[in-house]
Amino acid sequence: MSKKTINIPIGSQHIALLEPVRFKFECENEKIITVDSDVGFVHRGIERACTTKFKFDGIGYVVARVCGLCAITHSLSYTVAIEKLLGTEISVKAKYLRILLLELDRIHSHMLCLSHTCESAGFEAMFMRIMGDRELVMEIQELLTGNRIQFDYISIGGVNRDLSSEIAQKIRQNLYEVKQRALGYREEFTNNWSLSLKFKGIGALSLDDAYRFNAIGPLARASGLHVDVRNEINYLPFSEVGFVMQTHKAGDINARNLIRLDEIQNSIKMCENIVNGLPEGDIFTKPKGKPNGEALVRFEAPRGELMYYVKGNATAMLERVRIKTPTFSSIPAFSHIFVGEDYADVPAILASFDPCLSCTAK
Amino acid sequence: MRKIEVTLENVREEIQSFYEYNKWHFLTINGVALADNILEVQWIFSKYEAMDEVIIFFAHAKYADLIPSVADIIPSAIISQRELVDMFGVVVEGSEKGLYLDEDSLQAPLSGCRI
Repeated sequence: MSKKTINIPIGSQHIALLEPVRFKFECENEKIITVDSDVGFVHRGIERACTTKFKFDGIGYVVARVCGLCAITHSLSYTVAIEKLLGTEISVKAKYLRILLLELDRIHSHMLCLSHTCESAGFEAMFMRIMGDRELVMEIQELLTGNRIQFDYISIGGVNRDLSSEIAQKIRQNLYEVKQRALGYREEFTNNWSLSLKFKGIGALSLDDAYRFNAIGPLARASGLHVDVRNEINYLPFSEVGFVMQTHKAGDINARNLIRLDEIQNSIKMCENIVNGLPEGDIFTKPKGKPNGEALVRFEAPRGELMYYVKGNATAMLERVRIKTPTFSSIPAFSHIFVGEDYADVPAILASFDPCLSCTAK
Repeated sequence: MRKIEVTLENVREEIQSFYEYNKWHFLTINGVALADNILEVQWIFSKYEAMDEVIIFFAHAKYADLIPSVADIIPSAIISQRELVDMFGVVVEGSEKGLYLDEDSLQAPLSGCRI
């Protein structure tokens, strides 16, 4: 006799979801046996707008609106692609300042994800604690760029603001605080049963499946896959400022939490190294000409690899801007992970993916 | 970035002989609308732990052509194929329409020819 199955949708609007996505789960009792996903609820036509509405020198500010959380990675990827096509060489100082903001963005984004994981475990106090501490990073970002999020800091040829000694001092102070508090989170995530035992073995992705489904970002590194774009590009000097790739082996929710905690510590170290050793020099080099030809640029956003493909024809209007976002490429891996899990664990697994549908649908 | 030209007829064969899942990371499938209603379809890969080693297989297609699927070789390619269908209005083997666009949306917004 065949077993009876039941279809349970979650989303597009649901209390356990932070973003508009719909998963349709076919369950046999509590076990998920198939998953269907719909990610297209907030498609905004940004790729088309980039080639029909805006000139190339303004698009860096348009693509920063693809995502509020990782705006810096979007504008940076696009800008580096244009700089490649124009042959613009930016100053070492501008490169360091770009990394500084990229890593600050990673810290606050990982803190947001960790807080949501706590919330999905019913640990509201920890959620509030991390969100409160995250303000220390948001404060630095506002001082450095003028905005808490969606900052227009990157421009073709460099960055828009220099780092004053007062702001540098504030960055040191706040990051020291965040570092101490993140060590406290590690204690909780390792020893508190709501956050460790409950999440061990849940939502696991094996190393082989991480390869097969082309997993990226913390999702892949938690399964032991050595993939981090910061290790595979030389547009910015990540190794000079102390980047060390973090990996774990278990591949479950707990491992994804620990990866993010380790990456917060490494990003803080990188930011401290930059602030303490920032070279002298200009922050802007005037670009010349119009982009011509093709360029493909990748950066490591907080959720994984972000790719921009840009094609120009020596006019102010581009022929193609292709944006491949981390969550978009992770959807097949997400769907695979759900199969065989209990339906009750869906909110926690989903939070551990740290999905960004604003990026995905762009 | 290295580009390798293939045809719609041999792209599956080429990718199958090239792709080792633990050596090459599949990035995505990209479409670029060219003149004369030609679409350049690109299958993009990067090498794990190598410095900026990106390979693009590309083929030129007409909008009415059937684009072969590589989802049996690379399972995660299915979502990129569905995006290509929506954005360019082409037919990719085994890839449903409707990932991003509803029936009343502007169809094939990135194609060179309006549908």
